[in-house]
Amino acid sequence: MKKILSFSSLALSFIWLPAQAELYVTIVQGLGGEPRFEEQFHEQSRIIAEESAALTDDDKIMLFTGEDATRDNLLQHFSSISSQMTDADRAAVYLIGHGSFDGEEYKFNIPGLDISTADIVNIMSGFPGENHFMLNTSSTSGALLEPLENENRILITATRSGNERNATYFGQYFVEALNNEAADLNKNNSISVQEAFDYAQRQVADYFESQGQLATEHSEIRGDGAAQFNLARINPTEIAPDAPPEVADLQAQSDAINRQIEDLQLRRNELGNQEYLQQLQELILESARINEEIEQLSGN
Amino acid sequence: MINKAFSKQALRQCQSLLLVCCAGLLTEGVQARDHLLGALDNETLLNCENLHWSGQAAEAEACYLAIIRTVNPPEIQAEAMWALGDLYTADELFEQAAELNPENAMILVRTGELYMRTYQYQQAYDFFNQALQIEPNNAWAHMGAAEALSTGNNPEEVNAHLEAVQTHIASPPGARLRALVMAITSRMERDQLDEAVDLLEDAWNLAESDELPTMELYALEASLAFINRRRDEVQEFIDAALEEAPNYGDAYAIPGYFASITRFYEESGEFYEQAVAIEPENWNAHLELGQNYLRLNRIEAGIEHVRISYEGDGFNPKTLNMMRLLDTFSEDFVDLSFPEPPQGNGIPELVLRLDRDEVDVITPYARELAESSMATFEERYGFEAREPVIVEIFPNHEDFVVRSIGMPGVGILGVTFGYLFAMDSPTGHPDETYHWGTTLWHEMAHVYTLEASEHGVPRWFSEGVSVYEEWNTGPIPGVKIPAGVLNAMAEGLFLPIAELDDGFMRPSYENQVMVSYMQAGLIFQFISEEYGHEKIVDMLYQFVDGTDPVSAIENSLEISGREFDRHFKQYIDIQYGPILNNLGIWQEDVGATLSAYQAGNWEETIAAADRAIFTYPDYVEQDSPYIAKARAYAQLEQDDLKFETLETYWQLGGYSASSLKELADSYIERERFNEAIEVFMDIHYVDPFDEETHGKLGDIYMDKALHEEALQEYLVGLALEPLDQARANYRVASAYHALNDTEQSMNYLLTALDIAPQYRPAQQLLLEISRSANSTAN
Repeated sequence: MKKILSFSSLALSFIWLPAQAELYVTIVQGLGGEPRFEEQFHEQSRIIAEESAALTDDDKIMLFTGEDATRDNLLQHFSSISSQMTDADRAAVYLIGHGSFDGEEYKFNIPGLDISTADIVNIMSGFPGENHFMLNTSSTSGALLEPLENENRILITATRSGNERNATYFGQYFVEALNNEAADLNKNNSISVQEAFDYAQRQVADYFESQGQLATEHSEIRGDGAAQFNLARINPTEIAPDAPPEVADLQAQSDAINRQIEDLQLRRNELGNQEYLQQLQELILESARINEEIEQLSGN
Repeated sequence: MINKAFSKQALRQCQSLLLVCCAGLLTEGVQARDHLLGALDNETLLNCENLHWSGQAAEAEACYLAIIRTVNPPEIQAEAMWALGDLYTADELFEQAAELNPENAMILVRTGELYMRTYQYQQAYDFFNQALQIEPNNAWAHMGAAEALSTGNNPEEVNAHLEAVQTHIASPPGARLRALVMAITSRMERDQLDEAVDLLEDAWNLAESDELPTMELYALEASLAFINRRRDEVQEFIDAALEEAPNYGDAYAIPGYFASITRFYEESGEFYEQAVAIEPENWNAHLELGQNYLRLNRIEAGIEHVRISYEGDGFNPKTLNMMRLLDTFSEDFVDLSFPEPPQGNGIPELVLRLDRDEVDVITPYARELAESSMATFEERYGFEAREPVIVEIFPNHEDFVVRSIGMPGVGILGVTFGYLFAMDSPTGHPDETYHWGTTLWHEMAHVYTLEASEHGVPRWFSEGVSVYEEWNTGPIPGVKIPAGVLNAMAEGLFLPIAELDDGFMRPSYENQVMVSYMQAGLIFQFISEEYGHEKIVDMLYQFVDGTDPVSAIENSLEISGREFDRHFKQYIDIQYGPILNNLGIWQEDVGATLSAYQAGNWEETIAAADRAIFTYPDYVEQDSPYIAKARAYAQLEQDDLKFETLETYWQLGGYSASSLKELADSYIERERFNEAIEVFMDIHYVDPFDEETHGKLGDIYMDKALHEEALQEYLVGLALEPLDQARANYRVASAYHALNDTEQSMNYLLTALDIAPQYRPAQQLLLEISRSANSTAN
């Protein structure tokens, strides 16, 4: 696993991932049908791979494009990584392309035999552990919601049902979120699944509104833990290699306070509003002082 | 079948065997219907009709009930049921009658009239048509067909039917009178008053020679007297009508209608009040009264009369539309008064009536524009508003149209009733073509021209002044002539000044209303430049006494109307001759610009745009060559040239929001922040719902230490519910902090940090506030 010393992202990775947990990213670029879609899907897949590189080792990022993106290759790949993964590991699966729904079954369009609903259910069910993530940007992808829905996995589809059949805009905005500060809503320099979804959903709505059109797609998100599942990092604040040793201690203190803040936020309903805000203010003040000190010592 | 506004169960109960019971249950007195004028000759029925028209309401009701209780032909029972307000049973009885007498054209005619009463014009027309197939010269069927068709857009067919009534020797006098009344009404609606007077004379002669009822003619005389400012004669005519038919509410409602369409809403309301007082079952008068109250900002009273109309006549689509609108109006709109608290006499000067969802965004800009325009017009027209000006802004275009004219589906942007005007919000127009700031300015000018002239200003004059003010004092000054109007100018389609109202009221070609707006605006541009603005003001005040516009020109400018037309043409030739003489070439160049742009040929785009701009440099409408030229420069990465092009476009009054956003960013890059501020403000008057614009403008204000202004922009940005709530709250907190309002600052800051605890700028502000508090405490 790559070690990028970003004090803010460290905090979240510590909260979520047990030590040595790995992230396996698989990107499937489906058939475009037309050059403009081929180009779009290629670009989206490329950016996802690039942004994922900040979170996992290169050998755990697999991009299937063109003739390589066959059903056999994909099933073999998922079988292989499932056998390598431990319960602590997570998988992120991106299906970038077109889909079809005949009223009964959804299929993701790739060269040769398409990936069927049953294939996708088997793939996601085959991963050990829980909290795996799948994004499907295709039209009609909402048909997957029912067969795939499970609180232990995070599922995002570009449409709310199999009846939304127009080519979608959701994918391009979701990918745009991965390296866009505007999508980092909690300002922790990471883009979570939830943040990317919120960003893309708003952009799609704004697009149709600006065109004065009724929206032909309505994205959906299912499952728990989307806010804690990071997909990309933006503007990580690196600690200078020659930073004094106290920085590491301060960083540890900062991480501990951030955990306390998260804990406080979880207990919000147990406290009165005034008390909650008072405690929040104290913790954030402390965090702010430590961060200031880190910045001064690190020369940032 | 008649549309079912009442329960089917009630209808089923009203089958013929239970007629007596049902009639007793369903009627609330005799309902308003048109006079038969001899269409039917059943003596029993005519006896009831006479009782009704002579004001003997109880006796008339008993008479109609007697028809139902005794053995009478179904078509006569149908008439009685209709008079008693049970239209469903009347419909069924007419149907029975038609089955029994399939060759009786009058049964079909009367069925058609019943359907006219329920506003089902197509079905009504079908019945009249069936009657005409049986009796091709049936004058009553021709009259019905003409009236049914007049609700659509078939003037030729309408005239053909009316002519059939007038020319056929066997046409009954009553039908001829109806045809004349229809023609008189039409002429009066079109402001063709001389023709109306001639026709009215014919109608009087006919009515007197054939002893026909004349109360409707009196009501029309009253209306003519009102329009012609012979106000002392109005009541005499109304009294004469009422002497003939004491409960004839239309004696007031007809003048009320003409007062309304000539924009004398106060007087119109007074007429309708009288109408419903003497005829409480005149549901249309209740509706019109309700609408008038709403125009006069008497909202509660307006709602009450629309409700009464709805309860009495659930068929009227206008009433149904109004009822739906009023639900929205009551629940979704809020009033904001300025100044708050009111100064001086305790009355606010301005009331903004806005949708709850838009109030936080629209308010600051609408208020600024409204107050600025009021001050401008007060000074320029020497008139101080005597009542609060009420500005209603509707996010839903159809709601606005229904509020304004009762029926949806009309492409208007704003309507002024006096001190109150209604207009579309920018949310009703997601494209970039709607400059709501200009619409507000335009409508506010109407407030001043209407009120200063005591509602006597002619339509073209008021529209012309509003357009002229848009160009000279509005938020985007500069004369803007759309391409379609240039075509009309080149073809010499401008009207003589004496006929200019026709261009608004009776357009004869597709684009004529827009052409008339532009002509009217240019007329005042010409007067202002040649004679001075004060002459416009001088003319305006002459309309208080009912002076006609040509006389006003002669009085103020000391030239005849004809001379004025000649001078105006010379002005247009001088001002627009170059473009009008080269219009074809210019249009080719504009087309070539667009084609080259669409083909991705950037060099050719720029060359074609330059040619078009050379011919007509002031053209900044939505297809302006400046926009394509700037985009072509962007493709060629010639940023300075793109910037210069957009800057010229903006300085000439271009307002495409997307282009202006690019220009504002360019100004920021060049650290020309004052210009950036101006551009951002211009964007607000097209698209105030863009959170990014408010954020960027707020940031500039903060950098310039204009903290109040920054706070306003940040609060609007937050009200737009941006995705990035942490940043939006932090921005508001920072502005409050700069204004030394620590309590508010902390509120927003903690909200930001609750969303994003690691948000460094927010953390730093918290530290700053904390340290400042500690140092103060120490």
